[in-house]
Parts: sequence; C-alpha cells; structure tokens
Amino acid sequence: MANEVVRLDKVRRDYLVGDQVTTALDGVDLVIERGEFVAIVGPSGSGKSTMMNLIGCLDRPSAGTVLISGDPTNELSDNELTSLRSKAIGFVFQQFQLLPNTTAIENVMAPLLYQGISSKQAKKSASQMLTKLGLGDRLNFDRNRLSGGQQQRVAIARALVTSPDIVLADEPTGALDSKTGAAVIDLLKDLHREGRTIVLITHDLEIAASAPRRVFLRDGQIERDERGIR
Amino acid sequence: MRFLGTAALALNRIWATKVRSMLTMLGVVIGVAAIVALTSIVDGASQGINKSLATLGTNQLNITAMDPDALTELDANALAELENVSVMFVQSQNEGTIATGDTRVNARLVGVSSKYFQAVKPEIALGSYLSSSSFAQTAKDVVFGADAANDVGLTADMLGETVKLNGQDFRLVGVLDDQAGFGTSGRVYVTLDSARKLFSQYPYVSSIVIQANTPEQVDALQLTADSLLRERYGLGADTDARYTITNQASLIAAVSSITDTLGLLLTGIAAISLIVGGIGIMNIMLVSVRERTREIGVRRAIGAKQSNILTQFLIEAIVLSLAGGVIGLILGEIAAFFLAILGDWVFAIKLDTVVLALGFSLLVGVVFGVWPARTAAKLEPIDALRFE
Ligand SMILES: Nc1ncnc2c1ncn2[C@@H]1O[C@H](COP(=O)(O)OP(=O)(O)OP(=O)(O)O)[C@@H](O)[C@H]1O
Ligand SMILES: [Mg+2]
Repeated sequence: MANEVVRLDKVRRDYLVGDQVTTALDGVDLVIERGEFVAIVGPSGSGKSTMMNLIGCLDRPSAGTVLISGDPTNELSDNELTSLRSKAIGFVFQQFQLLPNTTAIENVMAPLLYQGISSKQAKKSASQMLTKLGLGDRLNFDRNRLSGGQQQRVAIARALVTSPDIVLADEPTGALDSKTGAAVIDLLKDLHREGRTIVLITHDLEIAASAPRRVFLRDGQIERDERGIR
Repeated sequence: MRFLGTAALALNRIWATKVRSMLTMLGVVIGVAAIVALTSIVDGASQGINKSLATLGTNQLNITAMDPDALTELDANALAELENVSVMFVQSQNEGTIATGDTRVNARLVGVSSKYFQAVKPEIALGSYLSSSSFAQTAKDVVFGADAANDVGLTADMLGETVKLNGQDFRLVGVLDDQAGFGTSGRVYVTLDSARKLFSQYPYVSSIVIQANTPEQVDALQLTADSLLRERYGLGADTDARYTITNQASLIAAVSSITDTLGLLLTGIAAISLIVGGIGIMNIMLVSVRERTREIGVRRAIGAKQSNILTQFLIEAIVLSLAGGVIGLILGEIAAFFLAILGDWVFAIKLDTVVLALGFSLLVGVVFGVWPARTAAKLEPIDALRFE
C-alpha cells in the first residue's frame, strides 16, 4: 500500500536477562499510514518503548517483520539500517538527549551532516527549522543554557530537520511540567496538521485522548486500537 | 558525515575537556621528550668523541708495538720509503715522573719525532709546540698535556722555566689545550732524542704513525705496511705479529657503532615510556567511551554509522597522542638545547628526530586508539541509549 509508512507483522521481542526470558512484545500487528497521529498508550512495562525502538530500526525483532514504507528490514545490515533511520525516522526522547558540548544549531545540524550534506547547507536548514520552532534567538546556546521546554523543542527540530517519514516521540513530556508539556503536545499537533506522521508514546490518558488514533498496549499485546476524536 | 566534520567533533571534545586532555597526553609528552633529549645526548657525545678521533686524522694508520722491542726507528725509516705515505712520525712512550718545585707526579712521557706536531696539530693553550730547534740534539724542551700541566700545578708564568722529567732538567715550551684531542691530556711530550736519554731504549719505539695521501688509500697502505714489516721480521702471512696496525677510520666506525647501540638502548627505554603513555590514552579513551555511551546512542539514532563513531574516537586518540608528541618534541628540544650548552656540543634540530617523534606518537595514537574506538562503534544503539 503506497500510503503505508510502518507495518509490524507478528512482531515479537524477547529479552534474555540471565536465564530468564521477558517477552516485551508478543506478536504485534500494526499499520501506520502517512499523515497519521498515533498515540501509543499503556502502563509501565507494557512494551511501548520496545515497540518504538523496533519501529525506529534501533532494534531488531526476535520474530516477525518490521516493514518501513513497504520494505522489510530483517535482512538489512547495520549500515543499511542506519541509513534507513537517517532518512525515514526522527526521534524525540523523554530526556531530550541533546548532544554534550554542542549548541542548539549544532544539534540540529548533526543528522544532516551524518547524511553527508555540506555544513553550509546544514546550517541553513537547521537555523530555519529552529526559527520555525521559535528558537531563532537561541541558535548558539548549549544545553546548559536552555530550559527543559526549549531543549525539547531543539530535539524536535533535530527530529524534523531531515524531513523523516515518521517522527517517534517517547514520553516527550515526561520530563516537563504540565504547561510546558502541553505546549510540546500542541507543537506535535501543529506538525501533524502540516502533514507529518507522528507516533506519540505516553502513559498519560488525557494526552492520549486528544490523539486521533490510540493504540492501547498491555503485557506486550495490543489491547485496543481506537480511531476518531472522542 | 564528511571527515572534516568528524575531526571537528573530536577536536571540540578535546577542547571542551582541556585539563583532562592535557593529563591524558602527559605520558606521551614525557615519552617523546625523553626520546628527543636522550637522542641528543647520544648524538652530542658521539659528536665529541668523533671530533677527538678526527684530530688524529682519518687517513692515519697507527702501528703499535705489543712488546717494548717489537718496533724500531729503522722500521719507520723503511716505511717512509713506501708509496703514498705523506707524513710519518714516531713516538715512544713510558711511565715516568714529572716535577716542579716540590710537586712530583706520575705521567706518561712521550717522545715524538719532529713531524708529530705538524701531523696532529693539537690545539695549544700556552707557548708553542716543540720547534725545530727543540729537535736539535742538545735541546731538552717539553710540551705538557692539559691534565699533566694541572697535576703538577703549572702556571702561565712558568713558560721557559725548568721542570724535571725523571729527575732531568727540561725547559717548558708549551701547554696543550684541554680540547686538544683524544688522549693528549695526561701526556708530556719531548723529542725522541730526549726520550732515548730518559729511557735508554734506542732503537726501539712504541708506535709509528703513517699517513696515506688520501683516505681512499688507507686500506691499501695498511696491507703494504703490514707485508713490509712481515718481510723485515721474516714473518709468514699467518704468523702472529708483535705489532698491531689500527686504522683511525675503523676506530671511528667502532666508536660510532658503540654510540649507535647506546642510542638504540636509550631510545628503547624512552619508547617504553611512550608505550606507557599510549596505554594511558587508551585507558582514558575507554573511560570516555563508557561515559559517553548515551551520546553514542543518540548519535547512532540520528544517523551516525559505526564508521562515523569509530573515526570520531580514533581521531580523538590520535590528536591527543600527536599533540602530546608535538609538546614533547618542543620540551625535548629545549632540554637538548640546554644539554648542548652543558656538554659543549653543537645543538641542532635534526629532521629525523622530528619525524621519529611525530611518527611514533601518531603510531601510538592509532595503536592505542583503535580498541576504544571499536568498542564505541560496536555498541548497540539501543543498549547505548538505555545506558545509565
Ligand atoms: N534491554 C532490556 N533488557 C531486558 N529487559 C527489557 C529491556 N528493555 C525492556 N525490557 C523489559 O521489557 C518490558 C517492556 O519494557 P518497555 O521499556 O518497552 O516498557 P514501556 O512500556 O516503555 O514502560 P515505561 O512506561 O516504563 O517506559 C519490561 O518488562 C522491561 O523490563
Ligand atoms: Mg518506555
């Protein structure tokens, strides 16, 4: 299907700790289409982060297949997975994860530089993206001089700057106060309105409720998959 | 990412952690500085020895008697008839005593033929060489080596005064400089005739020095001189002679092979400290990889390939090591400069020292940077991101 960005096909992920196997995802089927805004909801330990890592090609399934834009990823080498990640995926983490000793603009330039884009072009795109997210006057601040909300916006700019097929945000408001958190959610909604595909992981039911599609996880399985604003 | 971008990341990190970076490179700094300083000491010392040997002349052959009656002045006369011999002198030496006033010490008394000073040209500090009038039968003149002069307490105003050699009166005409050359310092020089009177040993001499016209002729001259002497004493080619013929050039070669070995040994010791420095870098880099595991995870998530991570950490190790090498080179050359002043040899920054120092520190950076860099590159992105 042309509009399909992500497909999980009977995906299973087992973790082996010592001699004990934990099944974090247990045969999950999921399709995410271009332009969707999906909230993945579930209690702690239900497998949300595991699922995001698999969608983001940071991790490989123990069984089943992850397809990105219709192409299976099982057989890809580490390098191929990295290029796929670089082209197709943007990550936003709970703890912002800005690079150390690095200014806002350098953070946003980094994904472009890893794609081999010239530093001049990368600087231009990064500064446009930061300006668009309201950080035009903070380009040369490093993370110690940015508030949590500002850091998360830099992280979102970094995720968006390569125009990925899908933006994955794992608890992006988890480290923010509720007001700043709400602003970040609003930003993600704006991006969705521009046509971006967004997967938002949260255990906050209220935030989840505002998403057009909600996937409920429990014990590594999809419990419910709801669409429509309630 | 382009190479320059990756290099910029590495430099940025080194700059951001300046103090730590300095401490990390300290081992290499010390190792390289030690290599540079030690090499310069060995070079300087061999420079000095070679200079002393060279004053004896590189186209000379020393024919030395192994027994007091092994060589005679007649042999010297016969050798003088050979082709390609330009200068020749004869010396005979014996232990004796020298005395001025109440001071009396032992010294090596050397009788030399008239050509000695003109051939060897030792630097003179006071007075003059034994002159042609000194070599006239009746004159009993003496030239002191620097140490011999010191031992007996000679002063400048004693030139022309009488000193006693083995109880006989001699007139002091000159004192050699202490830089006059290898082996001159403890000796006292008189004419061959005077020496005969001192030791009554005619016609025996202790050594004959002949000189080839050019350095290329030295080896051939050595063979003809040897066969001439063998003929004179009726020795077959395989019989042991009671004299030895030494070639100054081969002596210089022998000394320089000793100093080369010494140099190698010292460099080896210094190289060990360089290796220790490399291990220090590896250690800190491994710690650094651990500390920056999350950063590595984030970089992998936003599109860094394993090769990008590898290059970043490898460049960091190489830059640390190379910077240590440069600083060590500078410190080592400064030390070498002062050592040259102390040891009184010529200071020179040698290209091969620079290349060696930088080459080694580069090598150390690569060798000891590879493991940490590979460790960093091989981290699974997901594990790196979860790392606390
Ligand atoms: N690297 C790992 N090694 C071992 N077990 C793991 C690992 N990652 C996750 N798990 C286990 O897998 C299960 C799902 O974890 P996951 O992180 O996906 O949960 P989550 O829904 O994101 O939880 P939270 O809301 O707390 O972030 C948990 O039981 C967890 O202990
Ligand atoms: Mg999680």
